[in-house]
Amino acid sequence: MHSVLQRGNAIVAYTISVLAFLTFTCFASTFFLDYRTNAHINTVKVVVKNVPDYSASRLKNDLGFLTFDLQTNLTDIFNWNVKQLFLYLTAEYETPDNKLNQVILWDKIILRGENAVLDFKNMNTKYYFWDDGNGLRANPNVTLTLTWNIIPNAGLLPFVTAYGSHSFKFPNEYTVSRM
Amino acid sequence: MDFINSIPTHMDFEGQARAEKLSRIIITLFGAVGLIWGYIIQQFSQTVYILGAGFVLAALLTIPPWPMYRRKPLNWQKARPIGEHSPSGSKKGKKK
Repeated sequence: MHSVLQRGNAIVAYTISVLAFLTFTCFASTFFLDYRTNAHINTVKVVVKNVPDYSASRLKNDLGFLTFDLQTNLTDIFNWNVKQLFLYLTAEYETPDNKLNQVILWDKIILRGENAVLDFKNMNTKYYFWDDGNGLRANPNVTLTLTWNIIPNAGLLPFVTAYGSHSFKFPNEYTVSRM
Repeated sequence: MDFINSIPTHMDFEGQARAEKLSRIIITLFGAVGLIWGYIIQQFSQTVYILGAGFVLAALLTIPPWPMYRRKPLNWQKARPIGEHSPSGSKKGKKK
């Protein structure tokens, strides 16, 4: 006959099996959702300098400075299988050296329950916009896109890129003065 | 020590079956309700908490050998008095 411990063990095991099933249901209920939404991105001030990048070499590399506007509403993305979003702003451009350059300029974590309606005006970037050479000056087509990584309770961690991007060009002359 | 040993820990066979069935029903029911409620308010943590409540309730109701699980004890044969000769031979005491 079963002892107290055997009955306790049976209940714990069954509870964990049910929990696994519930977690899978949570994952399955959100797996096919479309998490894309609109984002409005704009650049305000764009400047390029030519300064030594001491973290890489002593050669002078192009360093871009920009401020940007960002408006988007991510409230609808949050559901019972989204714990937080990791947003990041990527600059993509082509240089003679590289077919594709991707530089992350800014990021932000939005936890569930926090304000997910973003309206930033004239924001500074968080990270340096270094090129690995001299590809930024007069670059005719740099595209900013907003992407988010969804951190779920269970399941995949998808990367989703917003609808709406912004392309701009860098000025033809280096800025020499301090800003 | 005698007091501790005198606490009953076993159920009878039918009580055991009822306890297991009851625990499965309770946990499944709480899991289903938790799933529906968690989906409605879009909070998976609530689903887990409701399942946890079902676990606690099932544990309280079916782990201790409550009297309701001890209603049909097995009727063991009475112990034979020592010294009586069994028909099968001389190995008395060793054989059941």
